[in-house]
Amino acid sequence: MNNPIIEREFVGLLRTRRALIVQLSLAAVFALIVLLRWPTDARVELSGAQARQVFHLFGYAMLATLILLVPVFPSTAIVREKNKGTLALLLNSPLGPAAIYFGKLLGLLGFVCLLLVLSFPAAVACYAMGGISLLEDIGSLYAMLALVSLQYATLGLWISSYAKSTDSALRVTYGVALAISVITVVPHLFFQGQEGNLADYAEMMRCVSPFPALMEVMGHSDLSSQGLITAGGVAARFTAIAIVSIFFFIIATISRLDHSIFDRPKDSGQVTDERGAGQRTVRRVVFLVDPQRRKQGIGPLTNPVMIKEFRTRRFGRSHWMLRLVAFCALTSLGLTYVTVTGTMAWGIDTIGGIMVILQSALIVLLTPSLAAGLISAERESGGWQLLQATPLTAGTIVRGKLMSVCWTVLLLLCATLPGYLVIVYIQPAMTHQILQVLACLLWTAAFAILLSASVSSLFDKTAPATTTSYAIIIGLCIGTLLFWLGRGNPFGRPTVEAALLLNPVAAALNVIEAPGFAEYELVPGNWWFMGCVSAICIAVLFARTWQLTRPR
Amino acid sequence: MSGDDSVIVINNLTKKYGNFTALDDLSLTVDRGHILGFIGPNGAGKTTTIRILVGLARPTEGTASIAGADCVKDARKIKRLVGYMPDRFGSYDNMRVREYLDFFGAAFGIKRADRKKRIEVVLDITGSTYMQDRYVETLSHGMQQRLGIARTLLHDPDVLILDEPANGLDPEARVEMRDILLRLADSGKTLIVTSHILPELSRICNRVAIITNGKLRAFGTLSDIMQKLSRQRTIEVQLASPEGVESASKTIHGFVEADANVTASQAESTVRFRSSKSEEELGELLKQLVTAGIAVTQFRELQTDLEEAFLTVTREDRESQKAKTESQQPVATGPENSSAGGMS
Repeated sequence: MNNPIIEREFVGLLRTRRALIVQLSLAAVFALIVLLRWPTDARVELSGAQARQVFHLFGYAMLATLILLVPVFPSTAIVREKNKGTLALLLNSPLGPAAIYFGKLLGLLGFVCLLLVLSFPAAVACYAMGGISLLEDIGSLYAMLALVSLQYATLGLWISSYAKSTDSALRVTYGVALAISVITVVPHLFFQGQEGNLADYAEMMRCVSPFPALMEVMGHSDLSSQGLITAGGVAARFTAIAIVSIFFFIIATISRLDHSIFDRPKDSGQVTDERGAGQRTVRRVVFLVDPQRRKQGIGPLTNPVMIKEFRTRRFGRSHWMLRLVAFCALTSLGLTYVTVTGTMAWGIDTIGGIMVILQSALIVLLTPSLAAGLISAERESGGWQLLQATPLTAGTIVRGKLMSVCWTVLLLLCATLPGYLVIVYIQPAMTHQILQVLACLLWTAAFAILLSASVSSLFDKTAPATTTSYAIIIGLCIGTLLFWLGRGNPFGRPTVEAALLLNPVAAALNVIEAPGFAEYELVPGNWWFMGCVSAICIAVLFARTWQLTRPR
Repeated sequence: MSGDDSVIVINNLTKKYGNFTALDDLSLTVDRGHILGFIGPNGAGKTTTIRILVGLARPTEGTASIAGADCVKDARKIKRLVGYMPDRFGSYDNMRVREYLDFFGAAFGIKRADRKKRIEVVLDITGSTYMQDRYVETLSHGMQQRLGIARTLLHDPDVLILDEPANGLDPEARVEMRDILLRLADSGKTLIVTSHILPELSRICNRVAIITNGKLRAFGTLSDIMQKLSRQRTIEVQLASPEGVESASKTIHGFVEADANVTASQAESTVRFRSSKSEEELGELLKQLVTAGIAVTQFRELQTDLEEAFLTVTREDRESQKAKTESQQPVATGPENSSAGGMS
């Protein structure tokens, strides 16, 4: 066990400011949860129902926190060492790949354990309220949380071994983590209670997510079960899948930790213009807009910063944009086709709900990754100094950068319009409703872009800017849904409505009258909130960029 | 201080960060077509001066102007007059060399047709045409430095300010860089170049400014500086065998100034010393050595180069700083003194 990496990783993490902030915030949040739900009556409820309510809330909050926090640290662990050159030094030492890997993993898990320990007082408070078994309830909860932490830590390290930069590692890890935990549950929400292959696949898919498993462990009914009885054994299946995936991630990452991680040839930079006529034609057909074609100069009426942003972004090149737009358009049309042909017994509200969730997930996943590095990446790479030395004004720089993200997001939103058009065609009475949904989605996009961009202007490194943006946006869009999950017990309608007012996705679902959201009044309250926050963000962004372009 | 042909004029430039003075009353001028070698140890204030000149930092006091444009008041004009290459390259991922130059050309407002021609020209000047389709992040350090110079030349500025352009280059790339800079000076550009590779710098600079702790210690042509610093000469005495080194060292110690630096090397059979003695006095020393039976094969003055000049200036600066610190230290008063005072 004499592995110097464990100590370095663990102590190194504890020395960072973000670790301190994470620990303090976590301790404060858990203390607050218990304080808010602690009984104030002189009479004590013997059934322990209130204790269980607090315990459930505590469990889901813990899981959500771990899913949000755990990927941050491992996802940058290997790629940072690789880029700084210290991984080469480690590989050149007598420590083998397994020792390096487990040193990192155990160091990171040490920190996760610390986070879990910080939650003990809150768990003990729940236990003290009565009605909760130490082994069955608290023990099972912590076992589940430990398994999830291990799974996400190994996933983060695996992605880190492939990433080229810390911020891309963070983006991919968050994307995969959210896909595993949230998106895998979505098909089941719509197929539950039905028979057939699709329903079976959906049933299997939800076992990948830790949420249904935790709900089962805590004795809750299934996620938005609508009174239907679903198949049990989700926790056992999740455990099996998690263990298999953990082994896969460990083996795959260790096998990456050798010379091959550095042994990559440099791109020779061959352009299509220098290829033969046949190859040029084939590439034109395959790509439509060939990314390897020699580019024309930037046009006279175009903002050069915007074009630079498109060109430097991995998925900013035209061929990727076309692929994304095509995918969105096909998915949207496919969903409406299913409704029109009556293949599934879904109503318009259900289809609308799916489309809103898919579009919102796209915005939430994509926007911080596009916008959180707008200013910070420039400062990190040294490009900001060069921009400062050009005659470009702060306004031109911000406009160019914002437009590069706005166009991308707008294009993706437009690609899903055909689906809504079909809905309006089937039920013309829904036109106003659909327009309101689109307004909600536009607010979501504007809010996500402006928030991420303003966060970006406050950091000089992209990784913390990306993490902060994701944490805020996911906290608002998914975190507030925890209150909705606890509607009825322990949260009353006013609390749930107040929480959902902050959530633009909930507002869109409310407008489309998706099951479970129709009974709240979220619009225009949510639009006012989004508008105010967006206005503050844009003011911060312009002021900060102006400040950064000034001589110091 | 400024002449009619001065392009860069710096007057009493001072920059303070709180209590720390990064630049202290710096004044210098650079004429058109000249190359100024701006040298100093790490943290001396070179980059601060450069950042003020290109409008990235504001001076606390004093003024700086380039081709008549004030570096603070005419910041936008300065950006068109100056091509600035920072010590960090500043690359963008997934961008080819030509696209990189196209972006900066557009940022400087060069029209598309002119930009295309201009890119060809700067690629040709820096010998980078062959790498125009390569991705910027895949370039070697030497290639990136060339591309950095190409970028600074895009808007055809009068003045080029290059922060450590030869840093990290191999000898061949360094020679190429030197040729590029000389060609640029020949074409009428005025250059300020900072570097730690002093032999390289001494080959290309018309003027040298040595700065330490924010103060300008020496400024002028290389020969002017050498002359000023040559009040003390370095003399090397080569002996026939190592046996005579010790006695030669003793004789020299007795002859030169008390604080003179005398270095003896048994391995090389040499004794080196710095002294301000005249030719006649040194002749007397040689006579004393020979009379003492020491077999002297050579007695010669070592040529002072830029490196030696730099080391002399920095050494003097360090010694004066040390003396200043010592004089500022309060006289120690031990507890026994206080108690003694109390008893009396």
